[in-house]
Amino acid sequence: MPRAHLMTPLRRFTDGEAVIEVEGATVGAMIAELDRRFPGIGEMLTKGASAAVDGLIHAEPEYLAVEPDADVYFVAPLAGG
Amino acid sequence: MTVTENRPDYKWVGTRPIRHDGYDKVVGKARFAADRNSPGQLHGAFLRSPHGHARILSVDTSAAEAMSGVKAVVTGADFPDLPIGHPERDTAVNLMARDVAMYVGHVVAAVAASTRAEAEAAAAAIEVEYELLPVVLSLDESIADGAPLANADNRTAFSGSDDPSNLATVTPLERGDVDAAFEAADVVVEREFDTAWVHQGYIEPHACVVDVGADGKAEVWASSQGHFRVRSQAAAVLGWDTARIKVIPAEIGGGFGGKTTIYLEPVAARLSEKSGRPVKIVMTRDEVLRATGPAPASKSRIRIAATNDGELTAIDGWIGYAVGCTGDMAGFVGAMSVASYKFPNLKMEFVGALTNTPRSAAYRAPSAPQAAFAIESVIDEIAQALDTDPIELRLKNAVVEGDLTSMGGPHPRIGFVECLEAIRDSEHYQSPVPDGAARGIGTGFWFNIGEQSSATVNLNEDGTATVITGSPDIGGSRASMALMAAEELGLDVHRITPVVADTESVGFTDVTEGSRATFATGMAVVNACRDLVGELKARAATIRGVEVDAVAWVDGAAVVDGHDPLPLADITAKAKSTGGPLTVTASLNAGGAGPSFAVHCCDVSVDEETGRVEVLRYTTAQDAGTAIHPSYVEGQMQGGTAQGIGWALNEEYVYADDGTMLNASFLDYRVPVASDLPMIETIIVEVPNPAHPYGVRGVGETGIVPPMGTIANAVSRASGVRLTSLPMSPPKVLAALDDR
Repeated sequence: MPRAHLMTPLRRFTDGEAVIEVEGATVGAMIAELDRRFPGIGEMLTKGASAAVDGLIHAEPEYLAVEPDADVYFVAPLAGG
Repeated sequence: MTVTENRPDYKWVGTRPIRHDGYDKVVGKARFAADRNSPGQLHGAFLRSPHGHARILSVDTSAAEAMSGVKAVVTGADFPDLPIGHPERDTAVNLMARDVAMYVGHVVAAVAASTRAEAEAAAAAIEVEYELLPVVLSLDESIADGAPLANADNRTAFSGSDDPSNLATVTPLERGDVDAAFEAADVVVEREFDTAWVHQGYIEPHACVVDVGADGKAEVWASSQGHFRVRSQAAAVLGWDTARIKVIPAEIGGGFGGKTTIYLEPVAARLSEKSGRPVKIVMTRDEVLRATGPAPASKSRIRIAATNDGELTAIDGWIGYAVGCTGDMAGFVGAMSVASYKFPNLKMEFVGALTNTPRSAAYRAPSAPQAAFAIESVIDEIAQALDTDPIELRLKNAVVEGDLTSMGGPHPRIGFVECLEAIRDSEHYQSPVPDGAARGIGTGFWFNIGEQSSATVNLNEDGTATVITGSPDIGGSRASMALMAAEELGLDVHRITPVVADTESVGFTDVTEGSRATFATGMAVVNACRDLVGELKARAATIRGVEVDAVAWVDGAAVVDGHDPLPLADITAKAKSTGGPLTVTASLNAGGAGPSFAVHCCDVSVDEETGRVEVLRYTTAQDAGTAIHPSYVEGQMQGGTAQGIGWALNEEYVYADDGTMLNASFLDYRVPVASDLPMIETIIVEVPNPAHPYGVRGVGETGIVPPMGTIANAVSRASGVRLTSLPMSPPKVLAALDDR
């Protein structure tokens, strides 16, 4: 099952848990399942977060496929100069 | 000098042709936004708030409207009141105050008149009644208990709270057991630091010309880092469909992050709509410095634990950014930037807090330089405490592939160690420190981003090509696009014309920021070229009467066994009879941007009588992944370094107590000039990014991250006193010397 790694500000939704095993074939499906289990976290993840999957950072990765054993790191929104 | 890891044998990538836009820029033919003039155009001017924070009780424009030459006047009431939470509300509020002026220089009204002088006179005649509000001018004031609100509309992002707050973001990060690590440490260094507001210092002031026709459609000529963002932001601020706006990208005279947002275009559009005439607005330097985004000022406290054998075991700290009058992601992005060392135990908090100063804007690797200044200074002090080489200490703790960033995720393949080794082995570092001088080392990281890009490649009937993208060329990207296309097509780079097209002539492309253009737009170009090669092979198969599988593409020609190679130009000449024009478009949302690291080394001397710091020698090594056009990679490295030297030694906003900027000119806001700097030596390190077809990482931003720490470390070693406040201007250095 894919593992969602949550940056510290998101852990208020998960009672401090940093890593959550969550079903989902895409990043968006993982977010939906996380939101079902931890109401409110979905908005945070869809509004602002990017995700690092297999070491590569993606912006707005809702439909990005994830492997069953993937580690998905939800990180802050990206910006630059 | 280039240090390369397993670089393939490219024909064009890595060469240094003269940039395609070079001639126009050298002879003055390049057209910047202020060069545009339209028949019948009017000139715009602003009335700006003289107060740092004030409620606008009334605006009387009647006298101004009656003045000679005046054709239109607009105020905040002429724009939609975007709701709190709308992604462009802050942009809208910043470019035209509605109910509250939030900094000295905040636009309150604008006038279009036949001449600029008439517009300025009319703007001055607008009468505004203000109710003064408390002014929040510093980070300390902003985060103090019971502080007045700098902007009552602000909500803390991602907090879930709907209460007004001065806090834009609060980002805690934690891993491991910091308390235990500090208890077990052999060496602990803790320092507090502060940095000033600094401006990007682009030479070209913001400018635009907007012409709204009778059909309601607008043509916008603007200088920006992303004309599609100009379109989307202007549409949101005006309440228009994007289809009503066509943005034509002018050449850009420097942006460095400061032109990733808009200040003028919706105002000019509304003035044009009201007057029925094109409206041109060009900021003065004074306006640029008073009212466009600086990089946030910062304060920080950093504590690092180490063992006697040089393992950095823990970092504990707080970094606050004064972000100006609206919400900002500086605190989030700053948190992303702490990613260079393993630190098994980490506890940090990053805060962005609002002040009644101009809305801050991105500036090369936004938020990272402030954090790196503090962290690199403390690491240098640990090296001194352990009497160890500062590069060896960093090598011992440097992240490599698989190590975690501060936010979580593991680093992909990166070149930090290679950059450290490049500086360690450089002639500069191996040479003796000059008499009376000292040497400093500093490092920097930037994650880089991908995002959306589009490219169209057209093959012309004579075998030349046009590469069309939507990324404004802010650092030589036209040449880079042409080089990658040349490599893919097997075509001489001089037979390729790279074009930056308007918003109606190329697919959507995100703003040029995050060092993304050569990476992401380059990928779109490569994808388009590969599709085009597939089409060329198909046409060649038709010409030769063979199956397409029998055709190979080799060095710009279709090769079929038993036939002479069929050059590209011979295929394009038969395009009409083989299926029509040869053109391909590719678009993508590029993932896998490759993080970039840089390591800097400098020698400085400190004049103990005047406090002046002289930079005697400076060398920078940076991982470019692959340098598509090495000259422009070196230019980015040198440019970022020069700006960082200014940030370190001279540049700062000076405010009066009421929030008035006191040094709003390049005479008083002192950016470094050529005579202030030595030649900045460059070492391009090439550790290819596996997610890019040529291994590209972004290079535009990382170069500004290390200089402040690098110079502070050199100055501290030269003077014997740790410098913790930027800029290290002569008065501050003298004060520090006096306190020894």
